[in-house]
Amino acid sequence: MAETLRASTNRVLRNPVAFSIVLSLLIGAAIIAATGTNPLLAYSEMVRGALTGSGLRNTVSRMIPIVGMALAISIPFRAGVINLGGEGQMVIGGLAGTLAAIYLPLPPVLVIPLALVAGMVAGALWALLPAIGQTALKLPILISSLLLNYPARALTGYMVRFPFADPTVTSSSTVPVPESNRIPKLALFDGVSASLVLLILLLIGVALFNLRTVPGYETRMTGLNSRFSRYGGVAVDRQVVWVMLASGGIAGMIGTHLVVGETYRFLDGDLVVSGFAWSGLLVALLARHRPGPMLAAGAFFAALQIGGLAMQRNVNVPWQIAQVLQAVVIIMIAGRFVLKARRETAAVIEGETTVTGEV
Amino acid sequence: MSVNAPELELRGITKRFPGVLANDRIDLTVKTGAIHAIVGENGAGKTTLMSILYGLVQPDQGEIRVRGELVRFSSALDAIGAGLGMVHQAFKLFPTLTVAENVVYRNEPKKGWFIDRDAAEAGVRKLADSFGLGIDPKARVEDLPVGVLQRVEIVKALYRDARVLILDEPTAVLAPQERDGLFVIMRRLKAAGRTILFVTHKLNEVMAVSDRVTVLRSGRVMADLKTSETSPKAISKLMTGRDIEAVARPSLGNGGEHLLRVNDLGVVDDAGLVRLDRVSFEVQAGEILGIAAVAGNGQSELIDALTGLKPASSGSISLNGVDITQAEPAQRRLAGLAYVPEDRHRVGTAAGGEVWSNLLMGYQRTPKFRRGRWLRGTAVKEHARELIAQYDVRVGSENTLVGTLSGGNLQKLVVAREMTHPAELLIADQPTRGVDIGAIQFLHRRLLEYRDQGRGILLISAELSELLALSNRILVMYEGRIVAEFDAASTDEAELGIYMTGGHLAGAVHG
Ligand SMILES: Nc1ncnc2c1ncn2[C@@H]1O[C@H](COP(=O)(O)OP(=O)(O)O)[C@@H](O)[C@H]1O
Ligand SMILES: [Mg+2]
Repeated sequence: MAETLRASTNRVLRNPVAFSIVLSLLIGAAIIAATGTNPLLAYSEMVRGALTGSGLRNTVSRMIPIVGMALAISIPFRAGVINLGGEGQMVIGGLAGTLAAIYLPLPPVLVIPLALVAGMVAGALWALLPAIGQTALKLPILISSLLLNYPARALTGYMVRFPFADPTVTSSSTVPVPESNRIPKLALFDGVSASLVLLILLLIGVALFNLRTVPGYETRMTGLNSRFSRYGGVAVDRQVVWVMLASGGIAGMIGTHLVVGETYRFLDGDLVVSGFAWSGLLVALLARHRPGPMLAAGAFFAALQIGGLAMQRNVNVPWQIAQVLQAVVIIMIAGRFVLKARRETAAVIEGETTVTGEV
Repeated sequence: MSVNAPELELRGITKRFPGVLANDRIDLTVKTGAIHAIVGENGAGKTTLMSILYGLVQPDQGEIRVRGELVRFSSALDAIGAGLGMVHQAFKLFPTLTVAENVVYRNEPKKGWFIDRDAAEAGVRKLADSFGLGIDPKARVEDLPVGVLQRVEIVKALYRDARVLILDEPTAVLAPQERDGLFVIMRRLKAAGRTILFVTHKLNEVMAVSDRVTVLRSGRVMADLKTSETSPKAISKLMTGRDIEAVARPSLGNGGEHLLRVNDLGVVDDAGLVRLDRVSFEVQAGEILGIAAVAGNGQSELIDALTGLKPASSGSISLNGVDITQAEPAQRRLAGLAYVPEDRHRVGTAAGGEVWSNLLMGYQRTPKFRRGRWLRGTAVKEHARELIAQYDVRVGSENTLVGTLSGGNLQKLVVAREMTHPAELLIADQPTRGVDIGAIQFLHRRLLEYRDQGRGILLISAELSELLALSNRILVMYEGRIVAEFDAASTDEAELGIYMTGGHLAGAVHG
């Protein structure tokens, strides 16, 4: 009995993700203790705040955009394309979806899906720009997609300040989405957005795509070795366009959800300061573009963030502690990747490769 | 350190990997200033032994002495410190840096806080010139052909004062002329008192350049011989445990209809240089057409144009009567083209993928393996298992990662995939490079069977003996042109060699 316990503890500690989480909790405990609070009390508040009552709803609500953005980024990532423009695609899509939800003169059953579609299309088109830049002009997507976040922010800021501004408020925002056109809440988790269902369907869809379809196979092979894929007849350039469209589409849909399902007004800068795109990027990296782990990692980060707020409220430990915890987890895991990469670089330099049985 | 001690002395070196005894109580003594060949089939344990010697792999048992002194290397840095240098089969160079920067890396001459670039270049030039290596320290590594990269690696080792050079299958990546150049360098190094461990599985090379030869089989030393007192036949028997089986000369092509027709094909590169100059030929059904050329004479451009990886600038290509000049690679595959690429690591496989996913590539859109957009998972895996069995690829299962396969096995995997393609024409670029004798015979037999089914093969090989043994006709390329065509039965290596090196232009032959 003790043996199996020890064995399973060992197994957990050898798992890099679990190990990082345990270690960061210990580091967090030390910091909390230094501020004069009992770490166990603080952590129990954190868990309670994240997982009970309205806290659970908040955690799940926060998880939706984080996992959604992780999913958006993971699709091109898996095909070897690094899309850092999730934020801009989310913002552009969010505005398009919001405007559709506000202004489309159609019954709500049509408006809500159409708003989501509008968000997807706008996000996808925004992602198409860097895709074409790379395939036609050889501008690396890594850079162009990142740079396009700024004009996206500026463009949407202009739109809600002038053509689509709500004149009755001082902040730069649209008028609110009419109540009937908002994404409904579920009876689940104390009223979480119905977008959760959409997210789960998307996750399942992407998992099936990755593992079971021909293009899913082809994108993976391109990510592993794009010359091999080209040699095997895969139209790699066309694939770049498709994965970017899918990525931007999902980002745009998440942007739409954040307004039409959560805040109801598109407020300039709102979607950007939330940092969902970047939390999503981290989750995608941690989960190494597998949908299942992505859900787990997204839920964990969301719980940390929500629990951190509760900890501040109830035991007066600043919520930044939660951010520290998140940062430590990331650094630990990233550290492992860096170490591995360094070891590989050293191997390249000094020939310290493992013998792979090469002739 | 005693004066008479041998340069290297290995005793009882044993190394076990999961499931294989890679080195089994190996004893090896290498004299100072000798060229000592290590031969053995793929998987015999040569690379493992060299890696142990160079500190990359720790032996389970055994001891190493360098000039009489017992050493224990925990990393390559220790081995370098003891005067050892290794040139790996896959070069370890920074592509965007210059030759000099690569060579002095981690031993940079300094001027204040900065690297003294001039001193580095001068030092590298002097060293390279003293051994006649003929490399330009200012050249950027990514612009250099493999033969030169290898010499850069040699200079890198010499720059770190290596007394002993370990060359792991250095000739596998070289054209015949480059190989002769390497031998010249090896002899110069020997004359300068350096010791060379030369790993190969080509017996003619052993005979040409080595003083002694140690034969490995299944991790064991089978013999340690003086080269002048043995023969290729004897070594081969020790390596494989069987006699060399000569490949039968091919019967004539039985089809006669033109599978591939290439007309005035031209390729101009980005810099505006003509790489392929109005090349025309046909491949008939039931024929192996060989192409003989020294690396860099247009054969890669020809293959890229045929496979669609880099389209031609002018001319036309038709396959089975279909014009494919402008077609994408996928359409060419559909039109009946299969292709064994020269570079199995960078082009022919994805190291991070499983055996099954590597065997699927190029077929993923054929009806056998998909239903609409869905992959037929069971069919895919079953296909993989069949090919593994048919081509005797030594892997754990179809789920093994391809990156763990040895070179010969990897090549079998690539050949298996391409030959099973329902294609009419196979382009085989160096299909047996870096593969051991047993696997070569196997692959040769497969190529002949393929031809006997009435299909066609365009065979590009740096091994003239292979071309002569397998081809019906041989075209010789020189500087982007076809300069000669021979009936394979009525020519020989010497004649081909003259045309391959442009000797015919110098009036060495008339006509
Ligand atoms: N790192 C490793 N892990 C597991 N097996 C290995 C490893 N390196 C080599 N081997 C196995 O050891 C045997 C000898 O390999 P190697 O030394 O590369 O042979 P050679 O260089 O003679 O072709 C092979 O069966 C190979 O698969
Ligand atoms: Mg080897």
